[in-house]
Amino acid sequence: MADEFIKGLGILTGSGLAWLVLASWYRTSSFESTQQLIEPLSSGATEGLFNIIAVTLMDVFLWFALLGALTFWVLIPAGHQIMSALEERRNAQ
Amino acid sequence: MSDNEPENEEIRSDGAGIVAPDDETPTWSERKARKTGLSRLTYEYFERARREDQDLRTESDYVERDVLAFPTWPHETVRNLSIASFFVGMILFLSATMPPHIGNPANPSSTPAIILPDWYLYWSFGLLKLNPLNPELAILGGQKLMADRTYGVLANGVVVGFIAIVPFLNKGSARRPVEQPFWSAVGVFGVVFAMTISLLAIKNLMPMNVDLLFDLTFLLPFVFGTITYAILKTMREGYMYNLNRRYYRLRPPK
Repeated sequence: MADEFIKGLGILTGSGLAWLVLASWYRTSSFESTQQLIEPLSSGATEGLFNIIAVTLMDVFLWFALLGALTFWVLIPAGHQIMSALEERRNAQ
Repeated sequence: MSDNEPENEEIRSDGAGIVAPDDETPTWSERKARKTGLSRLTYEYFERARREDQDLRTESDYVERDVLAFPTWPHETVRNLSIASFFVGMILFLSATMPPHIGNPANPSSTPAIILPDWYLYWSFGLLKLNPLNPELAILGGQKLMADRTYGVLANGVVVGFIAIVPFLNKGSARRPVEQPFWSAVGVFGVVFAMTISLLAIKNLMPMNVDLLFDLTFLLPFVFGTITYAILKTMREGYMYNLNRRYYRLRPPK
């Protein structure tokens, strides 16, 4: 269980850090804004190959952080619980 | 390990060869009770730790110390260096990768729209924004007993006073949160309240409804405190707290 916790935490923090850096470039007009990091894409974000790659990676990192944490903290432990419950039920019969 | 030692002297991981001290040798029924699972694992772990400690004491160059701790060099120093390296690396990483933010130069002749203290004083600043809690008394014809700013300053006194009283209410003899779930919950309540009251201090910048923010400021500490209490109470059962009370009460020798 501890292993799965640290995997989820590592994914959340590591991937979240990468998202933070990219979103600070492409979705932040000002660090005094209350919508920083979640604003619409800044102008010129889809011009040029590197910008397109970075904007794509930004979404990839965000969803990897969210889904990775969800997977290791919720889905996999729930799967283990279901498997052990099924095992118990099978042994009881 | 030197070469002339026999092969079978290797440390075995199956728990065989562990010897209980004479005055604590478990009875056969006790051994049977902790035969499987976590209880067995815990038993073997502490028995092995005790045996390794005993082996260490029998070594000729072992110096008996009256303080149970790790030595400063190398353990603590390497640990602290690694932590310091992590934070220095994080600062370098963020300053190298994030876009520079250079605001307009400060204008000393005009007051900025948003005035804030340093972040670690936000909690105190937030206590000055408790206007809705300042009661309006019917006997005064709906007037307030004291000004909102006076009320905010007195609120600071209440918080500081409570923090000052805590050491007298609880002597702090617990070494783990599971030992005193209630006081752990009080601690979590305080930490969460410090965070929520700090967020109330910057309500101008919070992208949410101010009334909701005000309610959450006082609701969330109770929620998290209750959750902490429930979790620690549950963990006590998981640790078999009553069975292992003697271990959890262990203190370093005086």
